[in-house]
Amino acid sequence: MGVRQWLTTLSLRQVHVLVVEVPGWWSTRVAAQQQLSARGWPEASSPADADVLLVCGHPGARFDAAVEQVWDQLPGPRARERAETPSDVADALDRAAAVLADTDRQRRDAQDRDRPDDESDQHSTDADAHEDSDGDSGANSHEMSDMDHGDMGDMGDMGDMDMSGMDHGDMDMAPGGIPLAGGGDDRDGLEMDVLQVPLGPVLPCWPAGLVLRCSLQGDVVVAAEVEVLTAGSTAPAPDLSPRAEAARLCDQARQVLELSGWGTAAQQAARVRDDLLTGADAAACRARLGRLRATVERSRLLRWSLRDLGRASTTHGAAVGLPVPVGDVHDRLLSFLRSAGDLLDERLDEKADHHPADQLKVSARWTGTDPVELPDLVTGLDLAAVRLVVASVAPDTATADTSATAEVDGG
Amino acid sequence: MAESLFWALVAAFLLGCLAVAAASLDGALGARGRGAGNLAGGWSAPLAETARLMRQRRRTLVAADVLLWRTGGAALLVAALLKVAVVPVDGWALADLAVGLVWFNAMDVTVWAAVWLTGWGANSAHALIGGYRFLAQGLAYELPLMFALTAPAVAAGSLRLAEVEAAQRGGAWFVLWMPVAFAVYCLGVVAFSVWGPLSVAAGVDLAGGVLAELSGVDRLLVLAGRYALLATGAAFAVPMFLGGADGPLLPGWAWFALKTLLLLAVLVALKRRLPVLRPDRFVEVGWLVLLPAVLLQVLVVSVVAVWRY
Repeated sequence: MGVRQWLTTLSLRQVHVLVVEVPGWWSTRVAAQQQLSARGWPEASSPADADVLLVCGHPGARFDAAVEQVWDQLPGPRARERAETPSDVADALDRAAAVLADTDRQRRDAQDRDRPDDESDQHSTDADAHEDSDGDSGANSHEMSDMDHGDMGDMGDMGDMDMSGMDHGDMDMAPGGIPLAGGGDDRDGLEMDVLQVPLGPVLPCWPAGLVLRCSLQGDVVVAAEVEVLTAGSTAPAPDLSPRAEAARLCDQARQVLELSGWGTAAQQAARVRDDLLTGADAAACRARLGRLRATVERSRLLRWSLRDLGRASTTHGAAVGLPVPVGDVHDRLLSFLRSAGDLLDERLDEKADHHPADQLKVSARWTGTDPVELPDLVTGLDLAAVRLVVASVAPDTATADTSATAEVDGG
Repeated sequence: MAESLFWALVAAFLLGCLAVAAASLDGALGARGRGAGNLAGGWSAPLAETARLMRQRRRTLVAADVLLWRTGGAALLVAALLKVAVVPVDGWALADLAVGLVWFNAMDVTVWAAVWLTGWGANSAHALIGGYRFLAQGLAYELPLMFALTAPAVAAGSLRLAEVEAAQRGGAWFVLWMPVAFAVYCLGVVAFSVWGPLSVAAGVDLAGGVLAELSGVDRLLVLAGRYALLATGAAFAVPMFLGGADGPLLPGWAWFALKTLLLLAVLVALKRRLPVLRPDRFVEVGWLVLLPAVLLQVLVVSVVAVWRY
């Protein structure tokens, strides 16, 4: 018993938390990340890596179903919590830790999961292959893994996805409940498998609530369809002060840096963001942001790595009448940091009393890309590039039209 | 027989210590980067992480290739142990093979299989792409690494590591006159450990890539395997490039330990400092820059070797 207790105590020092952001609850998610960083708890990279599933905000029905699926994929011991406001976060994490520490409860949870649940399991023939009860956990991809299984009626809308060159006829051939990859011509006109892989909505460094259903050949996206899973209630009004805007830009830069694998710079960006939000001294924030910008600008390795990725032309932006940011991923990363700096220079010291007109001006300066633009931007790129491009165009899912969906066929 | 078994266990234990040291340092650097005041928590991070993973359940996935998946995960640690067998400490190695250098390289190639199988076995798109990324990266780093290993062998006139080490005793360490080979070798170590700038196979953008579906003991084995590979790479560099046990005052084994730890610390510190090299771009560098550079290095070494004898 002593050893088990000891293991439990030790393991609670490194609780891995999978943070799920619902569109509109940005500040709660950031508060969660601050809390994690302060406690020395890592953020989980995937459900398999997570002990705690923390939902920030109030998800809508479809989003909730997705969260439920992710929950099924946590290996256990596991805990699930929800935090609405930033101040809820600390308590939610404490509660989660208590649940994790409760060995008896975790054992009961594990036994309940092992019991086969025939009603929800449509593929009872392969029940030997999994420990989870719902028949498709962990399969294929961990985020909303059944969104792409045409045979799951509840959420999959495969039937009306019209993608050229894809063979839906073999949907029935689904070993383990996962349809086989179809065939299709690749970029060089050779036949290659096409696999349906949804990205999001639960994925680190990914816009809240965004689901990008990709058709992959190898790791190249040949077609994509976008959907935004919305919140279940109206989100709290975002803080439009220049400080908060700057913090949001820093967070966006952090995501790009994180995805490009540059941990130190991403941490620096997170610290600038947190300083801005916690109301640290303006001059200190500005200095820290300046250092970060200099570091990023100086890195030739980063420039070489991000060069020409997801280059969007001005003509393209003009043609569709949407604010598609120009340049490549590197340009956009720098523009996040530059704009954040501009915001700080102008308004930081008078944040208490700014006019509504100023607010408008500031928030009009940077609005993220409309998610419907995404399929156009990511088609033809490999998965790594897709992640970077999506982070660099900062799709605005919080204000997006709830019915926004779009699709593009690869040619 | 019993004696060699004993020493094999000692070697495994020492390798484990090095791996834990690397993980501790990484935890501390991470804590410092976060601006955390509590660095002690960072140093003990591997302990807490191990406890967590021991307590966590393994996952069973739909239609996973369980045998290959788990084999791949465990093989990283095995490859590291087999590599360390040929590393001489002060002229004495667990298995002083006449082709020790080739052995090291062969074990490196098994890492290709191990990482790829870890990606393949889970039957998950992200993990599989991670596995293939490692192969793409392998195309870029493996040939330069092989030629980098050739340089000390040519200079020493032997593939036996003890002789490579002896060739540097009292003379110039190989790192001094083959810096290019040493740099390329270090890059290779970082690459086969799926570490830092060459960790695309386990990238953030793939939700952990080959690690994406691993939990519990399976994850622990892979993470430990990575640190062990990094530690082996550092230990192997000492007889190859850093003069082995050569050094004043201290006994030979102490010099060996010191050099290994120093190089290991440098490799660990590299992790967060550089952006990841994307395989499609890194292949270009591997073939157009690294390979010609290291070939030139081998040429220079060969000319010197011929002129000497």
